[in-house]
Amino acid sequence: MTGLLESYQIKTLTREESVRGVLVRMVLEQAEGADPEEVKLLEQALQLLLTRFQAMEGDAS
Amino acid sequence: MILRSIGMENFGRFQGQTIEFRRGMNLVIGPNEAGKSTLAEAVPAVLFGTDRLEQYKPWGRNACSASLFFEGGGRTIQVKRDLVTDQVELVERDDLYRHLSQFSGKAPLRGRSSSCREYRQLLESLLGVADEKLFRATYFFGHQPQDWSGDELAQNLRTLVSGTAEADYADILDRLLDEHFTLTRSNPWGRDKQRDREYEDVCRKLEELGPVAAVPVFVEIDDSTEITARINAMSAELADDRIEYEKGLRYVDHVRSRQVATAATDSQTPVDETSQAAGAAGQHDLREQLAAAGLPENPPVNLQELLAEAAEIRQEMSALQQPYAALGSREKKIPGVPWTALLSVVGLLTLVTGAAWWRQLYPLPVASIAVIVVACFAGFCGWRFWRRRTAQAECSTERGKLDQKKSAVQDRQSELSERCEALGLPSSPIDLVRLHKLVSSNRELLDNYWGLPAAERSGDGVAEQLAPQARDDKGNAGPRGDNQPADEVQELEARLAEFAADMDGKEARLQELKAQLEQRASAQQASTGGEGTDLLQRKHELEARIRLLRKAIDLLVAAVDEFGRSHLVQLNQEAGKLFAKITAGRYAAIRLNENMVPSIQVQGRRWMPAENFSKGTVDALYLALRTALTKIRDDGRSLPLMLDDPFVHLDQKRLATALNMIDLASVDGQLVLFSHNLELGKRAARERWHVVPLDGGTVETSTEVEGGEHAGQLHLL
Repeated sequence: MTGLLESYQIKTLTREESVRGVLVRMVLEQAEGADPEEVKLLEQALQLLLTRFQAMEGDAS
Repeated sequence: MILRSIGMENFGRFQGQTIEFRRGMNLVIGPNEAGKSTLAEAVPAVLFGTDRLEQYKPWGRNACSASLFFEGGGRTIQVKRDLVTDQVELVERDDLYRHLSQFSGKAPLRGRSSSCREYRQLLESLLGVADEKLFRATYFFGHQPQDWSGDELAQNLRTLVSGTAEADYADILDRLLDEHFTLTRSNPWGRDKQRDREYEDVCRKLEELGPVAAVPVFVEIDDSTEITARINAMSAELADDRIEYEKGLRYVDHVRSRQVATAATDSQTPVDETSQAAGAAGQHDLREQLAAAGLPENPPVNLQELLAEAAEIRQEMSALQQPYAALGSREKKIPGVPWTALLSVVGLLTLVTGAAWWRQLYPLPVASIAVIVVACFAGFCGWRFWRRRTAQAECSTERGKLDQKKSAVQDRQSELSERCEALGLPSSPIDLVRLHKLVSSNRELLDNYWGLPAAERSGDGVAEQLAPQARDDKGNAGPRGDNQPADEVQELEARLAEFAADMDGKEARLQELKAQLEQRASAQQASTGGEGTDLLQRKHELEARIRLLRKAIDLLVAAVDEFGRSHLVQLNQEAGKLFAKITAGRYAAIRLNENMVPSIQVQGRRWMPAENFSKGTVDALYLALRTALTKIRDDGRSLPLMLDDPFVHLDQKRLATALNMIDLASVDGQLVLFSHNLELGKRAARERWHVVPLDGGTVETSTEVEGGEHAGQLHLL
């Protein structure tokens, strides 16, 4: 697990009954047991999506 | 949880005022610019903070604050915020006015501090929401368009279920797909696009640049690095060779001068000063050369015998390794005794015999056979045991002999080491092997050294003191030149010439490598250093971005599917119940498909798209869906639904229908309707809504007791 996936913001979003809440829960499930490269990609993809959802600032590049 | 009041101090046009609300329907009514939207915005501003302070803070004042007072379930929650400093005071109390929880600290809108985190955690546990956007998407109900198109309604619903007030997940998905297909024509979710995109263009250009350009940059770098390493190694080797060559030249000079000195000694009986000086200089050179070659400065004459003995000991030691290995192998191969198998057989036959006795089924023959089998097997085991013991004894004897031999060799090695140490030589076998190699390669140098008179060898450059002894030695042993080959100098010069030629070859090879490196660098610069490198870098960037976009798209599609599976049924059921209530049972059910496009069930159980219905029906549908979504989200905490002039476009008839809807929707919770339509006052009086009239800065709240006889009487009327 990396910084973003362990952040308070992500933990808050996991409790949300919305598409982005489901998305965050799904990413956390996939990151469990994934290799570090896959976790990094998942984290970047989640950051990109949450930015588009305007749930956080900055884009994953 | 019911919003009881909003208190405001220097908040917009509100100066020290408190607006009270009730359970059920609340109407905040006033003309334009009366402060309705400001009042509505006070709720999220207090809960989460705001980045639009200038809109609320009166000009020239340095203070702006507001507070919310919630009540429900035997608890009260008061949240106060200074909007200038973002200082928040939150207190939760029970019926007896005891503090259940509280917070005091700064909590700005986009704060990430631990204090901010603590506040949001508390807010989430108390009110069920900690995110401003989600709050707006759940509880805020703004102006609605005059006519909903089917797609607009679906888009609005998609935005709400996305968890934001602005972003529609389908729109996000479209944008991600657009970005993906501007980068590549490859489509992992269907047929590839026909036209090449940037990624394909970059790949094609790289192919056109040829294989050199197509080779990844790091391979080129590795190759150059290898050549550079070889150049460095060869340069170092050449530098060493040059030193050796210089030494060789000095040695030839030394030999030549020694021959001259010897010839002079032969012709002159007395030792003159010049020859003594030359001898001292030659001895000094030899010592230097010995030291440079890694040999001891004063190697003993019997060094070769010592080294030969060391080699012999080494051979004996290595000769012992083979019998040791063979012995170890023999020991491993000694067969074991199958005691376990014997015990198993005995146990099994005992059981069989016991069973035979029990059943009286040929007990005697069975017992006899069992005894015979056990006896045979035990005999076999005994024979194996004797064989094993014998073989082990033989091996032990042989190992003892080998150990004796090894011990004798080790004693010889120890004795040799002591002798070597006494002579100032290295004593360990490894050092002796190294010394042996040095002696072999510097044989001539040692011969020359040993050829010197003993006094010169043992002295330390004090030739003058040793001159008489040297003369005696010469007198006894004869002149040194007798042992020196006549053509020694020629031979040395020939070897030096050979060495120089070898050095030239190395030098040529070094230049070749340098040229190769320069060529590689220029080729890389020409082919990949310019356009090639840029293209390769761009290709890698594109690959990374495409990989990221694909992952994001897959995740979003999966999340939408999962949301549909887990929430859509519940949302349809909740909204359907409310919709049936609002439409007085005319329409029994509603259904949202995977794109959140709503359909309404009509008579005959047919489903019709919502856009085919009247505006009033669609508004009712939207309100039902919003209310259902709120119910699913807030987990029974029921914060007030804020409706900010949502029916501004409706005519009187439709407005009446819409008001019926929201009146029904407010039964289970609390609605705050903000409107500029003064006509609503009549309806409010009739329906006994709680009315908050706003009149350009004058706030007059109705003071009736909730549910009392005159509750909701509109002051203006």
